[in-house]
Amino acid sequence: MPDGSHPPNPAPADSGVSRRSFLRTSAVVSAGLAALAASLKPLLEMNDVPTAERFMQKYYKELTLAEMAKVLQRIENEVEKQYGIRPHVRDLKPMDGVQFVYCLNLTRCIGCRKCVHACVAENNQSRNPEIQYIRVLKMPHGSLDIYKAEHAYNPQQVPEKGFFYMPVQCQQCENPPCVKVCPVHATWQETDGITVIDYDWCIGCRYCEAACPYWARRFNWTKPEIPKDRLNPEMAYLGNRPRRQGVMEKCHFCIQRTRAGRYPACLEVCPAGARKFGNLLDPESEVAYILKNKRVFIQLKEELGTSPRFFYYFDV
Amino acid sequence: MIQATKNYLTFLRRCARVACAGDWRYYAWMGALTVLSLLGLNAYCRQFAHGLITTGMSDEVSWGVYIANFTFLVGVAAAAVMMVIPVYIYDNEELHDLVIFGELLAVAAIIMCLLFVTVDLGRSDRFWHLIPGLGQFNFPASMLSWDVIVLNGYLLLNVHICGYLLYCRYQKKMPAKWFYVPFVFIAIVWAISIHTVTAFLYVGLGGRPFWNQAIIGPRFLASAFTAGPALIILAIQVVRRVTAIVPRGEAMPWEANAGATTTVRQRAATLVDLDVLVRYLPEFASVPKETRQTILPELKVLDAATGEVLLRQGETDKHTFFVLKGRVVVEREESGRHRITRSAGPGEQFGEVSSLAGTPRMATAIAEEATQVLRAPADSLRKLMKAPQLNKIIRARMAERLMITDRALMILRNIVQVAMTINVFLLVCEVFTEFYAGGLHIASSKYLYLGLEGHHALVPWIWAAIAFNLTAMVLLVLPLSRSLKWLNVTCVLCIVGIWIEKGMGLVIPGFIPSPLGEIVQYTPSLNETLVCFGIWAFGLLCYTVFLRMSVPILQGRLSKANEGQAEFGVGAAGQRPVL
Repeated sequence: MPDGSHPPNPAPADSGVSRRSFLRTSAVVSAGLAALAASLKPLLEMNDVPTAERFMQKYYKELTLAEMAKVLQRIENEVEKQYGIRPHVRDLKPMDGVQFVYCLNLTRCIGCRKCVHACVAENNQSRNPEIQYIRVLKMPHGSLDIYKAEHAYNPQQVPEKGFFYMPVQCQQCENPPCVKVCPVHATWQETDGITVIDYDWCIGCRYCEAACPYWARRFNWTKPEIPKDRLNPEMAYLGNRPRRQGVMEKCHFCIQRTRAGRYPACLEVCPAGARKFGNLLDPESEVAYILKNKRVFIQLKEELGTSPRFFYYFDV
Repeated sequence: MIQATKNYLTFLRRCARVACAGDWRYYAWMGALTVLSLLGLNAYCRQFAHGLITTGMSDEVSWGVYIANFTFLVGVAAAAVMMVIPVYIYDNEELHDLVIFGELLAVAAIIMCLLFVTVDLGRSDRFWHLIPGLGQFNFPASMLSWDVIVLNGYLLLNVHICGYLLYCRYQKKMPAKWFYVPFVFIAIVWAISIHTVTAFLYVGLGGRPFWNQAIIGPRFLASAFTAGPALIILAIQVVRRVTAIVPRGEAMPWEANAGATTTVRQRAATLVDLDVLVRYLPEFASVPKETRQTILPELKVLDAATGEVLLRQGETDKHTFFVLKGRVVVEREESGRHRITRSAGPGEQFGEVSSLAGTPRMATAIAEEATQVLRAPADSLRKLMKAPQLNKIIRARMAERLMITDRALMILRNIVQVAMTINVFLLVCEVFTEFYAGGLHIASSKYLYLGLEGHHALVPWIWAAIAFNLTAMVLLVLPLSRSLKWLNVTCVLCIVGIWIEKGMGLVIPGFIPSPLGEIVQYTPSLNETLVCFGIWAFGLLCYTVFLRMSVPILQGRLSKANEGQAEFGVGAAGQRPVL
């Protein structure tokens, strides 16, 4: 001891107290540990305990081809184990010279919501709680005021007189606010214009959900439920493979179909032919024709500068 | 190096022991906080297992009370440190002793902030994706990545400053300026940045017109400067109250024959006495022989028995005292309560401040045990202080006291007063801009202040907050709030008002109506509320422990010099109900 003013440490007080205090201390400590254990008990009900392999999984863009093959294999195994069906999971890359664009004809849309159902089935969306990428708005004629829209319309028959219908889904912005705000690069824009999400990298902060001006993003508030017999086994890593609790998802222009040369599910099912999809860089494509010749009336919330790749138009 | 580590570990061990000891009120308070924290942990485990569906949030209102609390607490953390500005930039002495309390509050608030963000994550198990270098860090594009940097940086800065200053005080060593002053200035700038970055988190979202306004940043600062110091005013009064010596039935040992000043025996000092002093105060050796000779006739040695008063608050005499043997406790009476402001052992001085300034004594010094002191008049002290080394140590020790004066609280009151006025003014600006111009974008404001299409969950809250803020502003302007009782009421009004206004009142309406015009309301679930209470309880628990460790260090009752002795309140059972 640097200063010699005190005698060497005298044993605190008398040793007769020490046994009692020892007993008391150990009682307090064990009561504390018991309370802690009781508090942690709900962890036993955990829906989905991540394995070490999943916990350590690298970021999508850093995976080598071999690593990706392994990850895809693992996902196939996991899905097979959970749903009893062996899926076919691919990592489809964007094609060169392709810029996907969606056009939606507001004159034709009848508000039947068939696109919503087709999307749910195609993209393995949770049935409980329900997650849907497309929201159809019922709007009174003569107004584009989104605050006048009705979301939960449920008439005997559509279309109703005096209204038009506007389905809204991810607008695949050229300047996407959701990508800018994501703190971990879990969402990004691919060269074909599709904004995708790495479901295995998202931390679930929901900043993108707050940033999106189109309410296009959905969060998995709990473990998604898909009936086994409804699972779509044709899957893509950045597309419709089953998601886990606590991550974001959204419309990805049916990446598992469109990058393999097919149309999105919502387009195929539309009974009114209101939906058109294609490669803007191909002058022969329908979308190129529409953007050139039709009266394209909006990119939704154009004033925000997000520049959507989703165009609404009228026939007239 | 090994010795230094050992010393530091001893320091930590002793602090931990101090934090574990107290009277029944302390145990009851800590016990209640622990129970609440564990309930919160339990609720969080349920959320972790089942997902955020256990909260009241939805895809429409995707942030709730977690982020609201986070926003409020960032403000508290920022303001707690900005309070040190008067101390370091304007050399304000009154607030000096509050610096550590403010910074400790900042540390506790940041811990709560980080917890609130963590519990809001859907996949907190993937937190490592946020670590720069290890994960993928979207810097500088994402404001959230900025927040990760500024919050953690701020935590480190404040832990360093408080920890270093307290450890120096414990060792009775003068803190090396270069080792903390630059950090204090960084922390001041940093404090502004944490709050601005948090405001930008909202302001930067073009799709949410309610948030996308430049005024949010300044409003955040104004409200932080209101709620932060208000919280400190309350916390500090609690510290004052619990550190007060409230005689319960029997008298303190040193009060047995209190008032017996006359019995103090005094004699002329000799060179031998000075040698004794040199043993405990090696810096005294730098005083030249001639000086010692000249001042010797002016020095006296006093012998005091336990409980004898050496100097009395309010009196004017110009002596400084150096302890040669024993221990002296210095206590101050204010607002009807006695508090220990410092404690001096062999080699330490007391009474030097009023001695040099010639002002009335600010506290009473009482011998805690049989004590021998060397008494020097102000002139002799000045001569002694010409020796640079002695000068340095005496000046350093002048700051070693825990003096929370009413005047310091009044300075804080002034800060709250100005900040609240600005806050209300900015609110008026915002409300005017929104409602006068009208347009489609005011739907959120309408929902908040008036209700929208029959939905008005937030309306009573925001009007309550406005009423609280206005009442507080009026009270702060009136001289009434100079009385501590009214000041406390005002502070509570400020804190509650700001919590509603900038927590729930800012976060929730941003989501209502949704960007597609849908109105879905939000009410926090029970589980979510329990998590919030748990985090608040844990934060208060941390702050209580920090205060409990630091107060005796600041008072000089827990120091390296009394290492090896039984901790007060631990070994010396019931002897001193300090704290």
